[in-house]
Amino acid sequence: MDRVVAWIARLVFVFLYIPIIALVVYSFNSADVSYRFEGFSLRWYAELFADQLLLDTLRTSAIVGVCAALLATIVGFLSAFALVRFRVKGRAFFLGAIVIPLIVPEIVLGVSLLTVFSTANVPTGLVTLILGHVVITLPLATLVMMGAMSALDPSLSEAATDLGATPWVTFRRILFPLLRPAVLAAFLLSFTTSFSNIVISTFTAGVGTTTLPLRIYSSLRTGLTPELNALGTLLVVFTLAIILVVGVGQMRRILAGGTPPPTN
Amino acid sequence: MTTTTTTTSKPRSRGRAVPYLLLAPAIIIITLLVIIPMIVIARDSFAISDPLGGNLGGFTLDNYAKLIDPVYAKTLGYSLGMAAINAAVCLIVGYIVAFYISTRAASRQPVLLVLVIIPFLTDFLVRTFAWINLLGSGGPIISGLKLIGIEASSLVPSQLAVTLSLLYAFLPVAVFPIYASMRSIDPSLKEAASDLGAGWWQTHARVFVPLSAPGIASALMLTFVPTLGVFVIPVLLGGGKDPLVGNLIVTLFTEFRNEPLGAALSMVVLLLMVLSAAIAGIVIRVVNSRKAA
Repeated sequence: MDRVVAWIARLVFVFLYIPIIALVVYSFNSADVSYRFEGFSLRWYAELFADQLLLDTLRTSAIVGVCAALLATIVGFLSAFALVRFRVKGRAFFLGAIVIPLIVPEIVLGVSLLTVFSTANVPTGLVTLILGHVVITLPLATLVMMGAMSALDPSLSEAATDLGATPWVTFRRILFPLLRPAVLAAFLLSFTTSFSNIVISTFTAGVGTTTLPLRIYSSLRTGLTPELNALGTLLVVFTLAIILVVGVGQMRRILAGGTPPPTN
Repeated sequence: MTTTTTTTSKPRSRGRAVPYLLLAPAIIIITLLVIIPMIVIARDSFAISDPLGGNLGGFTLDNYAKLIDPVYAKTLGYSLGMAAINAAVCLIVGYIVAFYISTRAASRQPVLLVLVIIPFLTDFLVRTFAWINLLGSGGPIISGLKLIGIEASSLVPSQLAVTLSLLYAFLPVAVFPIYASMRSIDPSLKEAASDLGAGWWQTHARVFVPLSAPGIASALMLTFVPTLGVFVIPVLLGGGKDPLVGNLIVTLFTEFRNEPLGAALSMVVLLLMVLSAAIAGIVIRVVNSRKAA
């Protein structure tokens, strides 16, 4: 039975990659209709880079992603530092508050933001988009950095203090350099989360602002084009690059929690 | 993330307010952009809706009563059914994959996990429309069906396409928590169970499933209610014929401008999520206290 389970699991891995492989293959298809494969061509990539409307939405998504990820990383760093390095009264309460957006279904977060923005007469656009994206990326960034901070050896900062370093010097010379990979990971994960978000953007973008996923979604409603396959392929490559930068080990800790088991 | 412990740093005589100052920006963001907005839609769900679109204030239970109306009840029932199917399939497949990964050599586990992570981190829309290539007319699956003599023009839109892409979207979310709790199970328990004559099903039913219950509960929590809120998949792969609650919410807010009814529907989704989070919380607590005992 274990062997049957192992084979099912292997088939699931195939299932996970078939759509991605199809996406990549069809993006190089020379045919006009997306489904039938006729020959190798780069024309869809060329058309992609000539599509000014699409490039504009790409820029919007990049701006929103960078701003939201920066805010989430900075605010998340401060919160993680407070929760891990200090004795905080009501720690569970604060942590619970920060992770609310992970529990509340995204669509509920989206409609409540829309309602509040319209009630308070805040015009929806770039700023509301960024705010909406900060909400969903903040818990992610905080948890990533909390994980890294609690894995730090406490004797390092004690040693620094014993050698006469002030708290600020200890932070700047010892703690922050050690935490830099986690900060980068938090930023990149927040960026990708924001960059690919569709639900929050649907409600917070407003009429004049369009992100890349919103644009993809509206063009998909009239059908899948080979150009979109090319775009999808580039986004897959982008994801792979991010995972490589963040690092496999760190990725695993972020998603499956805890420290890795002892290797034997 | 579950292993974070409060560090017992020396209490400082001065700067007791420091951690609270550090937490202030996050708390302000959560209060202004999450808690207050949720209070506002909770209140709006009891407001009277303007037939011309808008919110007239006041207090009424009409919005909740309307949800029992066949038009809405049908979508609600269909969504709950789809969510239950998706959660169940994600759970079974997720359990199998998590078990498979956790029983590989320690050096291979990270590689397999990353293989699950890559599709998960790939853009949600890309993951969804990638299926159109496979299931659409002239695609490999239709051609394959033709070869074995089944005539079909396209599998998009179809119920099958919706189900497959829902599984594809949510499977990784189910794998991670189950894997996390399986990893902490002592592998010698498996040998002990088989030494005592337990078969495969018995070993799982009496050892692995109970011990990985916290992961299973989290997996169900992270797949069931969130499926209700999906609105992209029913449009792109289901042709918009069978909307999920998510589609209904989007339509109510953006097209019909019936905020109070949309708010009531959102509150139902929120309550279901709170309920499932509470159940998952209880399961995790019970299992952990048994482990400690």
